[in-house]
Amino acid sequence: MNLFGLAIGFIALAIIGLGFFWVIRGEYYFGVLWWPYILGFGLLLILSSLFIASVWGSALLGIVGASLAWGSTELKDQSRRAELGWYPVNQKPKPQPPLANKIKKLKAPNL
Amino acid sequence: MELNWLGVIAALATFLSIWLGHVGVRKIEARSPTIWLPTMIVLALGLAFEIGALLTSSIGLSAALGITGMILLWDALEFSRQQKRVQKGHAPANPKNLRHARILATYPSATTIDWLNRQPGNNSLTPKIDDPSSQENIR
Repeated sequence: MNLFGLAIGFIALAIIGLGFFWVIRGEYYFGVLWWPYILGFGLLLILSSLFIASVWGSALLGIVGASLAWGSTELKDQSRRAELGWYPVNQKPKPQPPLANKIKKLKAPNL
Repeated sequence: MELNWLGVIAALATFLSIWLGHVGVRKIEARSPTIWLPTMIVLALGLAFEIGALLTSSIGLSAALGITGMILLWDALEFSRQQKRVQKGHAPANPKNLRHARILATYPSATTIDWLNRQPGNNSLTPKIDDPSSQENIR
């Protein structure tokens, strides 16, 4: 019996569940333009998991990184949901990320 | 130093399973005449993956099966949640599916319009319809 997969699967589900929360809050306070930084941070976590010898540490870092990468692709849909009135819209101006003008020219990923 | 690939395996299992579920649940729910059948199949698949995760001695395979299985179990629940989104008009109804045609006839909020299929900042509430054959189905 190998309980590792079952346990890490449960934890993955919880981390993905947190994604629902931070995507909604993140879009509300920061906006869709921050997506390249969230995607980059997620990929950085996955990359750094290669250098973690601990089984649990490496697996958790990979899952958190993948969940952040997925969430970055959800921000566009979330901003549409807010525009459509399905979620509250933040009337305050959103902080602009570095290189905001360049990011505006990119197509936000949406899988 | 030796690289530990377990994190990358866990990351790929997480990202690809979420992606597959995200796209798959929508596509299957839109086409399936019932939701209980795909729910049961995906439930069984998720349980099978978890049993596989318990039985394998490989830590990488156990992680991949465990994560994918849990996401499949979540996807099984999502078929019902997706049907509710169709009823609310938050996901487009497929008029060729009899179950969805009934939803369109019963729920005034149901629509064939995919409201999310547009760029943010496009605030006009008149959607652009790509498929002219779907025009007659707009409510």
